[in-house]
Amino acid sequence: MIDFSSPRHRSKFGYLLLAPAVLLMALIIIYPILLSVDISLQDVRIARVGADREAWTLKNYDWLFNSGEFWNAVWVTAKMVLTVGGISLVIGLATALLVNQRFRGRSLARLFVALPWAVPEVVATVIWAWMLDSSFGVINWLLLRAHLISEPIQFASNATAAFFAVCLVMIWKGYPLMSIMLLAGLQSIPEEQYQAARVDGANVWKRFIYVTLPNLAPVIGVTAVMTTLWVFRDFAIIYVLTQGGPIGGTTTLSILTFEQSFSFFKMGQGAAVGVVTMIICAVISRALVGRFASSAH
Amino acid sequence: MQKRSFLGSFGLYGTVIVVCGLLLFPIYWMVLTALSPRTQLRSYPPKFWPEDPQWNVFSDLLAAQPFGLWMWNTVLIAVATMILSLTIGVLAAYALSRHRLRGGQGLGLFILTSKMLPATLLVIPLFAIFKSLGLVGSLWSVVIAQSTLIVPFATWMLKGYFDTIPAELEQAALVDGCSPLAALVRVVLPVAAPGLAATSLYAFVISWSDFLYARTFLTTSESKWTLNVGIATLKGEFVTDWNTIMAASLMAALPIIGVYLFLERYLVGGLSAGAEK
Repeated sequence: MIDFSSPRHRSKFGYLLLAPAVLLMALIIIYPILLSVDISLQDVRIARVGADREAWTLKNYDWLFNSGEFWNAVWVTAKMVLTVGGISLVIGLATALLVNQRFRGRSLARLFVALPWAVPEVVATVIWAWMLDSSFGVINWLLLRAHLISEPIQFASNATAAFFAVCLVMIWKGYPLMSIMLLAGLQSIPEEQYQAARVDGANVWKRFIYVTLPNLAPVIGVTAVMTTLWVFRDFAIIYVLTQGGPIGGTTTLSILTFEQSFSFFKMGQGAAVGVVTMIICAVISRALVGRFASSAH
Repeated sequence: MQKRSFLGSFGLYGTVIVVCGLLLFPIYWMVLTALSPRTQLRSYPPKFWPEDPQWNVFSDLLAAQPFGLWMWNTVLIAVATMILSLTIGVLAAYALSRHRLRGGQGLGLFILTSKMLPATLLVIPLFAIFKSLGLVGSLWSVVIAQSTLIVPFATWMLKGYFDTIPAELEQAALVDGCSPLAALVRVVLPVAAPGLAATSLYAFVISWSDFLYARTFLTTSESKWTLNVGIATLKGEFVTDWNTIMAASLMAALPIIGVYLFLERYLVGGLSAGAEK
């Protein structure tokens, strides 16, 4: 029996504690990733683990780069990342600034302002699907009432409308994260910096530009990366709201991966899309994290 | 800070109320729709106040749909995932926090990067593996699949908590002849209890919100569905039953909203540990 409390064996105890996690991750993350690369290199419909494997081929990647579907998904994903990221950053920052003011009941307001965070994605999507309903939805009613539109918007059959409907749900689910993180960032800005700026005669706007924003830059960077990766990887909102339709108008890379694999049962092609998505995600997060980390110092 | 004028604070409160009202309107609409009679939902103009709340919608739901079963499945999966992830996460996080291990840094980096994995990619090889193990259709498949996200998340979040607990604490216990494992269980864990609770609840929230894995692995029989799969299917099938769908949604959202009210002050720690979003 090894005495783990003696200093000589302390690190062995550490490795022992780590072993279950390492083992599990190897089994359920690393092995599946390697397997998905393997599947993406095979001309396979329903993938199985076992002897009946196919010879490696680049057919799926050939399909990927030469089909309109992949490039459409890249374009849809990029548009969605920019729309959702941009608008939820604005709402997140505005709400964070608002509940950072001193007033009575502020902790309650903080609780409320980020409440959509606590609504499960499927539930959020179903609520919006009802509000956006083309016959009896409240949003069409309000828009008609305000004479902004002359006939109800068909959110299910119009590709542009469907795209914005998905963005709307994503923004509603995505801004609380921005708000919570930015509020924490705001609270960590030393009050002295504001006082110094005031002494120098800076008005509210200048204090925001020269004190608040530079201090928030690292937080904005991190949350932007998190939101980008979330939009890239999200499945539930798009799938429940539009299933990627109409005519691919809301088919992101994530939806294309799933659609190829589990709707058309072309898992080789699906895995190829997924592998490329994973590489894009890795590159983006490296680039963004690097840039904002350096701007923080 | 200068004192705010009466008009200024009036404007501030007005803004807060309008902003919260707009942002939370969908939640109100869900509650209102759930309580409305079905016929009223197909009439214009919509009613903005429940004139005739139908409280029996919840009992009808439990009677008509296998809704209770879906909720039970969701709870089972969430609890199993939580226990599995927390057990493994506590051990790994403690090791990463206290021991300078070779490869420890690499593992930390791996944990951080694992949250970038698109779940729609991971679901393909997992499907192939579960298919050959005969696990497709079993709740365990979802527990294992969710662990790919929740174990790294719990490990990272717990490491943050352990880092704040001084190492002298368990060193004193070790000097008193306590074994290292007993020192972790009896000395460190009680001190880390708030962190453990926050991480568990977080794990619960992530598990409860899962749709992709349940949708892919549990399609075989309706009795194995989770709440999210059930609600998404209700939306597809009975498009006019919006009051039923909203009642189901409300019941699926309430536990998470409850957890949120409790978790609020731990949110930042959890979000930066890389929760779902």
